[in-house]
Amino acid sequence: MGETTVNVTVNGRSCEAVVEARLTLADFLRETCHLTGTHLGCEHGVCGACTVLVDGAAVRSCLMFAVQAGGTEVTTIEGIAAPDGELSTVQAAFRDCHGLQCGYCTPGFIVSVTAFLEDNPSPTDQEIREALSGNLCRCTGYQGILNAVHQVTGAARGEEPA
Amino acid sequence: MKPAPFEYHAPTTIADAAGLLADLGDGAKVLAGGQSLIPMLALRLAVFDHLVDVGRIAELHGIERRGDALWVGAGTTEAAVGASVEVASSVPLLAKATPFVGHFQIRNRGTLGGSIAHADPAAEYPAVALALDASMDVVSSRGSRTIAARDFFDGLWSTSMETDELLAGVSFPIWGGRCGFAVEEFARRYGDFALAGVAVAIELDGDDRVRRSALGLIGMGSTPERAVTTEAQLAGQPVTEVDAEEVGRSAVAGLEAVPSDLHGSADYRRQLGAAMVARAWRTASAEARHG
Amino acid sequence: MTVPTAEGSTRYAGARINRVEDARLLSGRGTFVDDVSLPGMLHACFVRSPLPRATIRSIDTKAALAMPGVHAVFTAADLNPDVNEQWHTSVGPEGPETPRPPLAEGEVRFVGDAVALVVAESRYLAEDAVDLVEVDYDPLPAVVDYTTAEQAATLVHESHGSNLIGQMSGLPASALQEVFDSAAHVVGETIYQQAYVPVPMEGRALAVDYSAPTGELTIYSATQAPHEVRLFCSRLLGVPEQKVRVIARDTGGGFGQKIMVQRDEMCIMLAARKVPGPLKWIEDRRENLIAAGQSRHEHAAVKMAFDAEGTIQAAQIDFVSDCGAYPTPWPVSTSSVVGALFPGPYRVPRASFTTKTMYTNTVGRTAYRGPWQFETLAREMLLDIAARQMGIDPMELRRRNLLRRDELPYTNANGMPFDHISPMETFEQALDMLDYPAFRKEQAEARAAGRYLGVGISNYVEPSSPGFGYYATEAATIRVEPSGKVNVYIAGGSTGNSIETTVVQLAADALGVDIEDVATIQGDTAVTGFGAGAAGSRSASMTAGAIRETAAILRERIKAIAAHKLEAAPEDIELGNSRASVRGTPTIGMSLGELARAAYFDPYSLPPGVPAGLEASARYTADTRFVWVNATHLCTCEVDVATGAVKLLRFIVSEDCGPMINPNVVEGQIAGGVVQGIGGVLYEHLAYDEDGNPITTTFMDYLLPTATEVPVIEYGHIETPSPGPGGYKGVGEGGAIGAPPAVVNAVADALAPFGVTVTRLPLGPTQIHALIAGNRG
Ligand SMILES: Cc1cc2nc3c(=O)[nH]c(=O)nc-3n(C[C@H](O)[C@H](O)[C@H](O)COP(=O)(O)OP(=O)(O)OC[C@H]3O[C@@H](n4cnc5c(N)ncnc54)[C@H](O)[C@@H]3O)c2cc1C
Ligand code: FES
Ligand code: FES
Repeated sequence: MGETTVNVTVNGRSCEAVVEARLTLADFLRETCHLTGTHLGCEHGVCGACTVLVDGAAVRSCLMFAVQAGGTEVTTIEGIAAPDGELSTVQAAFRDCHGLQCGYCTPGFIVSVTAFLEDNPSPTDQEIREALSGNLCRCTGYQGILNAVHQVTGAARGEEPA
Repeated sequence: MKPAPFEYHAPTTIADAAGLLADLGDGAKVLAGGQSLIPMLALRLAVFDHLVDVGRIAELHGIERRGDALWVGAGTTEAAVGASVEVASSVPLLAKATPFVGHFQIRNRGTLGGSIAHADPAAEYPAVALALDASMDVVSSRGSRTIAARDFFDGLWSTSMETDELLAGVSFPIWGGRCGFAVEEFARRYGDFALAGVAVAIELDGDDRVRRSALGLIGMGSTPERAVTTEAQLAGQPVTEVDAEEVGRSAVAGLEAVPSDLHGSADYRRQLGAAMVARAWRTASAEARHG
Repeated sequence: MTVPTAEGSTRYAGARINRVEDARLLSGRGTFVDDVSLPGMLHACFVRSPLPRATIRSIDTKAALAMPGVHAVFTAADLNPDVNEQWHTSVGPEGPETPRPPLAEGEVRFVGDAVALVVAESRYLAEDAVDLVEVDYDPLPAVVDYTTAEQAATLVHESHGSNLIGQMSGLPASALQEVFDSAAHVVGETIYQQAYVPVPMEGRALAVDYSAPTGELTIYSATQAPHEVRLFCSRLLGVPEQKVRVIARDTGGGFGQKIMVQRDEMCIMLAARKVPGPLKWIEDRRENLIAAGQSRHEHAAVKMAFDAEGTIQAAQIDFVSDCGAYPTPWPVSTSSVVGALFPGPYRVPRASFTTKTMYTNTVGRTAYRGPWQFETLAREMLLDIAARQMGIDPMELRRRNLLRRDELPYTNANGMPFDHISPMETFEQALDMLDYPAFRKEQAEARAAGRYLGVGISNYVEPSSPGFGYYATEAATIRVEPSGKVNVYIAGGSTGNSIETTVVQLAADALGVDIEDVATIQGDTAVTGFGAGAAGSRSASMTAGAIRETAAILRERIKAIAAHKLEAAPEDIELGNSRASVRGTPTIGMSLGELARAAYFDPYSLPPGVPAGLEASARYTADTRFVWVNATHLCTCEVDVATGAVKLLRFIVSEDCGPMINPNVVEGQIAGGVVQGIGGVLYEHLAYDEDGNPITTTFMDYLLPTATEVPVIEYGHIETPSPGPGGYKGVGEGGAIGAPPAVVNAVADALAPFGVTVTRLPLGPTQIHALIAGNRG
């Protein structure tokens, strides 16, 4: 029932497949595109582990069907670092600040923070916390994650990294 | 946790969408941003044979002034509402409510029309629509009609739209003059649906008397609620003599279906509602007086 | 960043080293179980009971089996007879055990109990088929409330004859009677903690690849203990260990929930041999919240006797816990730890305890980070209540009773032999960091202005790194490759606790090599020696021991070869910077690569008696039964009495985990535990309704703290070495032990003007509202 052809540009590469309409974008990325960096922590929109960029906007890939993403440009965690593997500023800050432990939530945080800082490069602490509140982490107590975002925004303001 | 199978339809015009809804009958459901519907599908709390995705209908998008009202297309994302300069200047209450709607990732997909059609009593937009006496443009293959907000929300997650009807847009009356607006709510965590809250609009006359006010209560019943008795009592009163705490108490006094669950007893929610109304009243009246 | 050593070479232990795990995890290149996809893979989904207790009259699988893409639907009759033996190594074959049928047999015992298992070509299809399996249930009355379970006419397990699983006790209460009768003050309360749970962001997960021709199983598992999965599976299926290989690359958190194999995983292991392809089961969030286990749900009547000055004379706890229908493991002995540790890091001359563990028709109890933490919660709450009743400052009351260094070693009244701890030091350090007098002044001013601030403290002492039975040893294999690069093979089981980085740091130091030259392989039972995994805050101390023992063999061999080649005495050879050189003349030396090449490829050039190659394996056996750890948590908050909201203002942890291998990792572990503790007090509640239906089955209802709910956590470190390897101690669990009472006490302190006594958790806004309303009359 309900198979459709979709064509999505994922991390700059066109990805075309015949999929069931009910296939979520998250499962499309993980299973059809074999990009398993996008994680599923709840599949009902709360944890944020599945966050990807769709046409530049951070969204829950578990709350979108692959068919809805037809014609869009999707960026997953695999598309955040430079092609040679060099970590983005946000990724490097997470590493420097112990912003991850098990790493399961991490792709969602990296993608969300990347999008957030694009829109608001100099946020206040409260704005940072609010922006992070759509992503759950059970390991870090958010301390390292908050420090990482502060490191990035501090650097943007020309401050010494902590 | 995977949705059951369904047939997917992606019309590009309102007319086509209305046609599909008419043809497919009860087994069909409108899919907008999916931020409320997809979780229910994933949990299999809801199963539909057909989803009519209205996300590709250009006519459903847009924010424009239409006479004394601001029209917002149902398909406009919550993020677009929040970013709109027009919304901020013409319907500040809507702008102020937006940051309370979930998280930014949710607002990037969720739509104003989806939120209003979903009619969650704890959601912000339905309460704003009710407070401002917004009107809903509803379309079906049988024709179009306009439903006043007070006739629209008729039960828990339920509206007076028929299953073949599509919400096309919402017109929010623009309040001019010496006005103040505030949204206050309390949620267990930042971004959660409110345990209790309120959207308040106040207009003062030249003598600082309340010309009109509107109190849309969030999460205080099975639908968004309007504190009409309180509003009537406030009309004509000098704003400096109004006791905000008393407004709060009065606004929650007549409520009959205050929810009660693990996260908050009805008693607690009532007190919370009163506190939120008092806070919002103070903020909105100060704004109205001092601009 | 590194720390220079006396020898001049770098020392990595103690430094804030970036983690070796991060590059892959930051870029989406980790390998969690769900990321493993094998040709022909099949997907499993359970049919779960919607009723807390019922007889299964019949199960009709026909419609499900007829669905295209469905390979099998198993019921108890298909899987359960295949069970060969089922017991956890830490409990042993003779241990008292609860029944553990893989699929429910005859009777379902909680909502979520697995009744049938569907195997299909995708998880989507498997869920479709689950909807088609028709189970005819005959509902039975259920035991929902553990506090009345003992008297209930209904039995959860008929065969056990009682809902009381077991009980333990210390001295008889009568032994303390005289002290309580004659004490100047006796303070007692019944303290109650709601159920809250580990909630790793990745649920349980298992993929089993069975090869019929060879009888081999390769299991990809989200586990804290890969070797235990292997041993359990080998016993379950009756196949020798060599036929079972368990691989655990990345695991998305565990916090106790992933230490032991439970019934659902047993089903997957059993079913994998009956289906035509590798079988994968990924627990979804709803399953995790209804079927992965409960924890914390417990209460106790506690009392303490004090003399007129507030000196503790005696302490007594009578503890009861909810263990659900199928606890893992047997919960009775864990409960005794609550009793034994109740006196805490205080001078308590007399103590006794009783514990009871109860069956109910709810999800089974599993381990959760500091499984005995109730002792700290109850004691620290009681001390604050006592301080208020006696009119003594709560900090002063503790200061009078805390153990001082000069009193160590100190065996507590229940026989716990404390040593190498520093309760008074962490306590004073935390109070200094806060500036306690300044806070009290601020609090008084705030109260005058109608704002309610509070401060709460908690002290604990915790046994880490258990040194007995199955947990008492850990093995390492170290290979210096021909290039001089080093590979360390160790059991692992990291679920986020950075064991890879720890191992690399310790091995680099132990062999005097650059950290870039060291790598580690963990979580693969085919190439690592047996180890009990990440449990009991044992990883730091035990891996340090394993590396110490193994590296010692290699150091000796490297020195012997270098001495021979450099014509020096082995005692004069120094290892550092990936070189062996002659003491005093560092220019005379050889790189580890040169030595390794000789060791592997030129064996006849080695000194007599030195074996070829540079690889060694050794097993460390724990030096002590426990490595004791202590800490103080101190928290301030503001309560908004109009909304019941609690805002945490400062959170200070002063801990003594001995010398820190990597302060980032230590602080990360503390922060994670603290926020779980904060969640447990203020947000989280795994709740059932009166009929036994779980009502917090999604993340919309089970509320984890987010970045907007947590304060900045400030750390103070006291480093008292343990007698174990490197002086290291465990730090994985403590945060979750110390945080809850600090938060509760802070809230209670803020509400003191209302005359409120807090004895029940959680403290959500609705409960705070009720507390204030109740006392306003
Ligand atoms: C984690 C999380 C937190 C959230 N927090 C909040 C919050 O705090 N406050 C809040 O208000 N919301 C919250 N939401 C919900 C969010 O705002 C949704 O986006 C919104 O309620 C529904 O909009 P949608 O466009 O996603 O609609 P959908 O989910 O696509 O649809 C919702 C319902 O509306 C119907 N519908 C949609 N569009 C139309 C139309 N044009 N005509 C007729 N029927 C239509 C659908 O058939 C469906 O029944 C949250 C969601 C999540 C996942
Ligand atoms: S998996 Fe999408 S939000 Fe949790
Ligand atoms: S690092 Fe484990 S959940 Fe965030």
